Amino acid sequence: MAHFPEICGAGLGLKRELIPQLQAMHGQSVVAAIDFLEIAPENWIGVGGQRGRQLSWLADHYPIAAHGLSLSLGGPDPLNEDFLRQVKAFLDRYRISLYTEHLSYCTDGGYLYDLLPIPFTQEAVKYVAARIRRTQEILERRIAVENASFYVAAPIAEMDELTFIKAVLEEADCDLHLDINNVYVNSVNFGFDPHEFLHGIPDERIVYAHIAGHDREAEDLIIDTHGQDVIDPVWALLKEAYSLFGVFPTLLERDIDIPPLPELMKEVDYIAELQGAYSVPKSIASP
Amino acid sequence: MTLPEFQRYQLQFTRHIRNPGGAARPDKVSAKRMRVYTEIVFNNLESSVAACFPVAKKVLGIRSWTKLVRKFFIEHESRSPLFRQIPEEFLKWLEHAPEVPPYLYSLAHYEWVELAVATADVSVDPHVVDPIGDLLEQVAVLAPSMMLLRYDYPVHKLSPRRKPIAPLPQPVHLLVFRNAEDEVRFIELNPVTARLVEILQDDHLTGRQALQQIAVELAHPDPDTIIRFGRELLADLRQQGVIVGAKRSAA
Repeated sequence: MAHFPEICGAGLGLKRELIPQLQAMHGQSVVAAIDFLEIAPENWIGVGGQRGRQLSWLADHYPIAAHGLSLSLGGPDPLNEDFLRQVKAFLDRYRISLYTEHLSYCTDGGYLYDLLPIPFTQEAVKYVAARIRRTQEILERRIAVENASFYVAAPIAEMDELTFIKAVLEEADCDLHLDINNVYVNSVNFGFDPHEFLHGIPDERIVYAHIAGHDREAEDLIIDTHGQDVIDPVWALLKEAYSLFGVFPTLLERDIDIPPLPELMKEVDYIAELQGAYSVPKSIASP
Repeated sequence: MTLPEFQRYQLQFTRHIRNPGGAARPDKVSAKRMRVYTEIVFNNLESSVAACFPVAKKVLGIRSWTKLVRKFFIEHESRSPLFRQIPEEFLKWLEHAPEVPPYLYSLAHYEWVELAVATADVSVDPHVVDPIGDLLEQVAVLAPSMMLLRYDYPVHKLSPRRKPIAPLPQPVHLLVFRNAEDEVRFIELNPVTARLVEILQDDHLTGRQALQQIAVELAHPDPDTIIRFGRELLADLRQQGVIVGAKRSAA
């Protein structure tokens, strides 16, 4: 896939309402920090007309990363291989090298169109890993899986989230899409130390990251809405991750209450700024 | 074959999400936390459905609408992984749903058509079209994304204050198409024009042949009148963007 543009730097999750602004401001300094955009194939596969032309324009002007929603890697139904072949054609058509999915499930015989938690059991590790391997086979590329946010811990769990993620990555031999906000969300929802979690991440597998805002519902409950600005403790985790593991492509997700693009760009700019600060070679940076 | 424990848990988890009142949550799971899922998942689904069917939602009223979507969520196994096909999944279920007003399926179908026509991945090769070609002597090329529809209810005029009590005496013919600017347009057609568009959709008869066929179907005593009338009709359809031009004969 040498001819596919590489994903690097700072990115922005594409929402349809942002497209006219992106087109109008293209080439201006206000959006200069956007190195790539991310889309969900589930929202764009088979779409023509005006929306289809918009996607072609975007793919002509930006490298695109694909972040799936419906693969249901942890779901009880057979892996939807017809869908995966559609994804493959889509990735090829828009020259997309990176495809990531969630460590979650969204099917129970039919689609529920939402991300649900996989119980962290030994059997689930084997099951999910096999499906990731099959996915990589069909897509003819490595994929990265994302640590998902969740609200209910399965009482049947045999291990903690970090152990589960590491076991799946190892067993599937795939990459990690590290969602910094999700680490924070889950640390509050399940009372663990996010820094300790970060230190346990197999850094050699990180290829991509997300950062986002969320809604604080209660002292011990965060809802992962992507509906607000990124909070300082989450930025601090991103900085910590950069200093621990080096810089990786990082994308801002904003799905609800989307401010005008110039406002949103402040957070993309900040990602780029941090990436600049942390990519200074250590020999120069250290006294 | 028995499922692994984690899958039995997952299925119990989703049964409860789909039907919180009818299926118990898994053992030892906090009711408060479980409610986060039952609310979020349903609300997200409802928004995806409602985005396509604003009139149906308004006509039914929020209570009946919410009950209807809940029933859909409980009963229907959606087959499409694509989010934009959620409305289509709803429509598939609605077609056979009992205890809904008789006009509801037609109305929902009509609302869905706008989305389907707007996003259909079809286009016309401009090389095969002569925009000013003779529509009487050549085969017409129609707008690539188009649906010719016939409803038993005046779906295009429904509102909370105008709910039909009975089907129309004659069905209404509506044409929904995407014009050259990619905007979706709606036109009400009389039965003869609808028939003409239908014949032209077959894509092999010239305008004259299509009109002759209509004259035969109507058993019209003077086919030339139909052709004169039809010439204007064709010009009008071209002007509105329903016909994009005449098919160029192969070189």
